[in-house]
Amino acid sequence: MWKSVIYKEWLKIRWVAIIFGGLGILAVGNIFLKVQHDLVFNEATNYWYFILFQGYQFFGYGLFKFIPVLGALAVAVAQYFPETVNKRIKLTFHLPLNENKVLLMMMLFGTICLLAIDVIMFLLFTSLSLLFFPSEIIIATLVSTAPWFLCGFVVYFLVALIVLEPVWKYRFMYIIVAGAFVPIYLESAETGGYAPALPLLILFTVVLSISLLFSGYRFRKGEM
Amino acid sequence: MNAIECRNLTHYYGKKLVYENLNINVREGSILGLLGKNGAGKTTTINILNGFLQPRSGECLIYGENTQHLSPENKARIGFLIEGHIQYSFMNIHQIEKFYSGFYPKWNNEPYWELMSKLKVTPKQKISSMSCGQRSQVALGLILAQDPDLLILDDFSMGLDPGYRRLFIDYLREYAKSKNKTIFTTSHIIQDMERLIDDVLIMDYNRVLAQRNVNDFMREFKQFYFELENPEINLSNEDFVANFEKVHNKVELYTYETEDFVKNFLSKNSIVHFNFQKVEMGLEDAFIGLTGKY
Repeated sequence: MWKSVIYKEWLKIRWVAIIFGGLGILAVGNIFLKVQHDLVFNEATNYWYFILFQGYQFFGYGLFKFIPVLGALAVAVAQYFPETVNKRIKLTFHLPLNENKVLLMMMLFGTICLLAIDVIMFLLFTSLSLLFFPSEIIIATLVSTAPWFLCGFVVYFLVALIVLEPVWKYRFMYIIVAGAFVPIYLESAETGGYAPALPLLILFTVVLSISLLFSGYRFRKGEM
Repeated sequence: MNAIECRNLTHYYGKKLVYENLNINVREGSILGLLGKNGAGKTTTINILNGFLQPRSGECLIYGENTQHLSPENKARIGFLIEGHIQYSFMNIHQIEKFYSGFYPKWNNEPYWELMSKLKVTPKQKISSMSCGQRSQVALGLILAQDPDLLILDDFSMGLDPGYRRLFIDYLREYAKSKNKTIFTTSHIIQDMERLIDDVLIMDYNRVLAQRNVNDFMREFKQFYFELENPEINLSNEDFVANFEKVHNKVELYTYETEDFVKNFLSKNSIVHFNFQKVEMGLEDAFIGLTGKY
């Protein structure tokens, strides 16, 4: 039965997930093309000076920063919006499975897909970083980019919560909560500066992961 | 034994009463049609039966289990058709069959593919690009393949042309009767129900007007037409009158009483009338007769 649930979820998100993964790989590749370009055209000494003393972040340009968020947003909409069209979620809740477990399974599948894409980007990013930078810079860089990837999961969980929510007043409330929390993950900080906040951000992300159960519960009770 | 039992069901939307202390029983192996005007509570009842709405009070049981907490095993015994034949429209007919087959131990894809072979759709055509009639056949085929013991059908005739409606009904009745299935259904098109149902439940705003075998109902519920000499006479408050429709002096009187009873009543009360006749009714006429035209 769970294989069938996964099959349905995959049919919904496959193209979005593939495009997201492709764009993620292109964005990572683009970063290191730029690194290569800057090293050649700005000379290595200048480039290292900028990194070590001017706080230059070779990874810090818009496209890469927002790709996990935009990808997660697209995956969440592709996965949950079709369930709300004509209240099709009724079909899902009518399957011979526990309703909460189905929702959690859907959420888990989406999360694993995002995680898989993020891991591919992470491995590619780390491997290419090793060609240019020492481990100290790479670790600090990963700490700096971690909130952006976490933000992808936060956006995914919040969009699931908002899209599945049957009551408009709660939807607006969740949108306000999302508007308050999401920017925290995307604040600019010096390389490695996010390290103290990371455990709390991770905790909040994990707690948020089960939030779509509230929307599912309200739908099943017939709240409008 | 009853497949469905609703006891003292009461529901409100805000302060608006939908119904109070509604009791419904659906025998195993029977086909019950729930009829009512728009807003009478048909979809509310379907939603309560499927656990998508918590009633203000009372409860519905399906195979002895409260519908607010149906177990997966019980849900596997229930086939559910959503109003408008809603299905996962991002799938094609192969994908949706593959998807559902994973859930039901008794899955038999033969009736599904038999119905699909009658549709002029390409194997990779998404359900979203099919006509309403084609979608209805997909939804019906999936329910037949699931082989449920109880089918809950919410307005199965919505959007279907007469041919597809007839195909749907004939398939469904044959299937239900040959396999002793129970059906609980609503439909806006009442002529369709006549071919399908064994029992009828007619709801009006806040109350049940009739709940009985459809043949008994059609035999006992009658319409009489006559013309009054005095058009001011109004019989709507008489106990035996279920509904009294009058245009000028032309009367349609609906009642469970016999022709003799009505004639005697008119003569005993010196109500002068002409052209008295019993009017043959179909289920739709009887429904309108019972619930009124407005």
